[in-house]
Amino acid sequence: MTDPRTIRIVIVDDHHMFRTGVRSELTSLAGSAAISSPATFRLQIAGEAGAVESATQVITQEKPDVVLLDVHLPGGDGHGGADVIRACAGVDSQAGVPVRFLALSVSDAAEDVIAVIRAGARGYVTKTISAEELLTAIGRVADGDAVFSPRLAGFVLDAFGAAAGEVAEIDEELDRLTAREREVMRLIARGYQYKEVAKELFISVKTVETHVSSVLRKLQLSSRHELTAWALGRRLL
Amino acid sequence: MRVDPEQTLTRPPNSPQRVAATPRVGEDGRVQTTTSSEEGAVQQPQQPQQPQPHSQAQPRTPSATHPHPQPQPAAGPLPAWRATPRPPLVRHRGDKVLAGVAAGLAAHLGLPVGWVRVAFVASSIPFGAGVVVYIFLWATMREEGSAAPVSGMPPAPVAVTAGVISTTGAPLGGAAQGAVGPEPSAAASGDSESSVSPHLHQGIDLAGLRSWLRNSNQAVVLTLLGVAALVAAAALWLGSAGFDVHAEVVVPVVAIVIGAIFFWSQLDDSSPLGGRRPVRWIWLVVGLGFTLLGLVALLVRGTNLTELWQVLGAVLAALVGISVLCAPWILRLWTNLREEQTARIRATERADIAAHLHDSVLQTLALIQRQSTDSATVARLARAQERQLRSYLDDEDSRAGTLGAALTAAMGEVEELQGVPVQLVVTGDRPMDQHLDALVKAVREATWNAVRHASPPVSAYVEVGPDAVEAFVRDHGSGFDLDAVPDDRAGVRESIIGRMERHGGTARIRRRADGTEIELRLPVGDSDTATPPPATTPTSTPAPAPVAASVTDPAPDPTAAPATPAPANTTPTAPPPTSLNEPQEQPS
Repeated sequence: MTDPRTIRIVIVDDHHMFRTGVRSELTSLAGSAAISSPATFRLQIAGEAGAVESATQVITQEKPDVVLLDVHLPGGDGHGGADVIRACAGVDSQAGVPVRFLALSVSDAAEDVIAVIRAGARGYVTKTISAEELLTAIGRVADGDAVFSPRLAGFVLDAFGAAAGEVAEIDEELDRLTAREREVMRLIARGYQYKEVAKELFISVKTVETHVSSVLRKLQLSSRHELTAWALGRRLL
Repeated sequence: MRVDPEQTLTRPPNSPQRVAATPRVGEDGRVQTTTSSEEGAVQQPQQPQQPQPHSQAQPRTPSATHPHPQPQPAAGPLPAWRATPRPPLVRHRGDKVLAGVAAGLAAHLGLPVGWVRVAFVASSIPFGAGVVVYIFLWATMREEGSAAPVSGMPPAPVAVTAGVISTTGAPLGGAAQGAVGPEPSAAASGDSESSVSPHLHQGIDLAGLRSWLRNSNQAVVLTLLGVAALVAAAALWLGSAGFDVHAEVVVPVVAIVIGAIFFWSQLDDSSPLGGRRPVRWIWLVVGLGFTLLGLVALLVRGTNLTELWQVLGAVLAALVGISVLCAPWILRLWTNLREEQTARIRATERADIAAHLHDSVLQTLALIQRQSTDSATVARLARAQERQLRSYLDDEDSRAGTLGAALTAAMGEVEELQGVPVQLVVTGDRPMDQHLDALVKAVREATWNAVRHASPPVSAYVEVGPDAVEAFVRDHGSGFDLDAVPDDRAGVRESIIGRMERHGGTARIRRRADGTEIELRLPVGDSDTATPPPATTPTSTPAPAPVAASVTDPAPDPTAAPATPAPANTTPTAPPPTSLNEPQEQPS
């Protein structure tokens, strides 16, 4: 941590204004000498794109660490961000790890969330997120951890039936959350930061991240039919 | 048959029961009425008319097949609608010779079943009118077992009854037609039908065909009968007035009209939005058949049978030729129509959305431009507009009446009035009731306090579980100081804690290092024993003794915080009594 690493990001969004806003927010924040503890890295914005094709091109060319990806994008097969993730599958960053995607959307619609997460995004945050939180989320995604917004956590609880009390007996079960994962999700849904979750549950932040990543994996791999049915039939609150 | 409508209308309400046990056809074929004198008196005038002229047809009413005519069906539906005494017009299953039409009609009209059968047979002999009526009734009457249950009965019989009353006019018309012009064509058509129909009855059940006919628009059938009756009446009148009525023209024209009505009725059914209902092909076929027969009869007047075939062939050829010529045009017209409809629907939708955007988004943007110097107002306006647009996109109206919708609305209100965003997450949902309403109000109050006295972000999380609804409202401020804000303390105690307790729930306030969290829990389910609330009048109720709620402050001592991550389950007693600020609120 003493030697701040550099995270290179690409911003993909079809709204030019939004790209400019994020860029200025992030640069001012990241430039102001570690304003908050999670910002233990330097941020470099490697490129921008506004459509599926240009995004794919920029990402394969720049090999960033993290892509801030809008869910709704013109071009491609009409699936927006999910198309970008699929087209860039196998692209490694300059550091040699796969490029990670953080979905950034104005939409809370469950079908958007589920589509982009199942395509492989490491996290999902809404565009109303504060710049500090976004910076934290970028760092977390760059480390290969998952980022869940409260709404995504609520969606997970709902889709896995955890809100109704369903809990997995064994950890490997893909279609249900373990009791611990459920607690983590509940706390995230209540607006807790990871470190607050850790404090509340008397576990380390790293363990929280492990739990969240495990939930993300279940979200991506589970064939639980409620997941898709729910995503199709409802929208996130 | 002629007297029936009047007679049945004036029947005393108690007669159907008696009718059920009434009809007896003796071994000698004579109908014996074993009813009371009243019943007999009503039916007396008919007796000489009906059976006598057609006594030779008596063997067709086999008395052996119905030793006990219809006690069950008449008694069944009757108590349900005692106000209207007539039993429903349904075909009887047990007591039937062909299809149970005569038995059902007899029970409905309160006549001995033998008479009805005799009437059918008798009216069939000259021109086949009875057969036509029989087929019609068979097609339109429900079978008693397949009928809707008693609860569903009352609306249906009314319609059927109306149908019967008007059908009693139709056989008259048919018979009158025959009487006016006993032409070969009319007789021929009647004969052909009478020769076909018995096969239909005695062969396969043709349930599908019947249900098709029965599900069809009864108005169309009634229209047909009305047309037939009108034409017949007009013919009768003209005939009696001395005009020379050419039945060989009138009958085919009537047939064509009937066919056209059959045909067009399907057009009418299927036209809106291009075939919502499937076209009933049998109706089209019947309509075509009628029209074809009418055309042929019109053209073939008075000629012999070989020419009839030629004419039939010519008519068919002409029809086929016309349809082949017209088909592309009709197809083109149809496609154009569909395209136009789709375009119109799209345009309407677009206009709706445009109107909505204009009323909401554009107005807000204009406001924002004018007040662009006031960043708080801009943020508030943008947030309110976003919420409104989301609810529009999410079709929030469809969720009306659920907890989720109520919470969304409450949070929206708080945001609107305070200008601070609230992050709301709801998992699960359930319909609102008064207890949930109290919960929503408590959540609203908690959020209100949070946005007023704490700093954002403020999060509200509501989890609808199988036996409880839990709500968490959390802020990131320094925590609201109950002592410093006495008014709010009353608000917290009354509006949140007191309200939850009155509805059988619990409330708990946790102070954390970086904010405050209010936890509400409301048991739900069938065994909710919470007393109905005087919740709307908080001043009338004294502050309740906080038996279940406790204001605790676990933050200074992290180990004192309950290790269980589901604190709501342990709410009443779990938190260690470390309350420093409010000792008087401690339960023990």
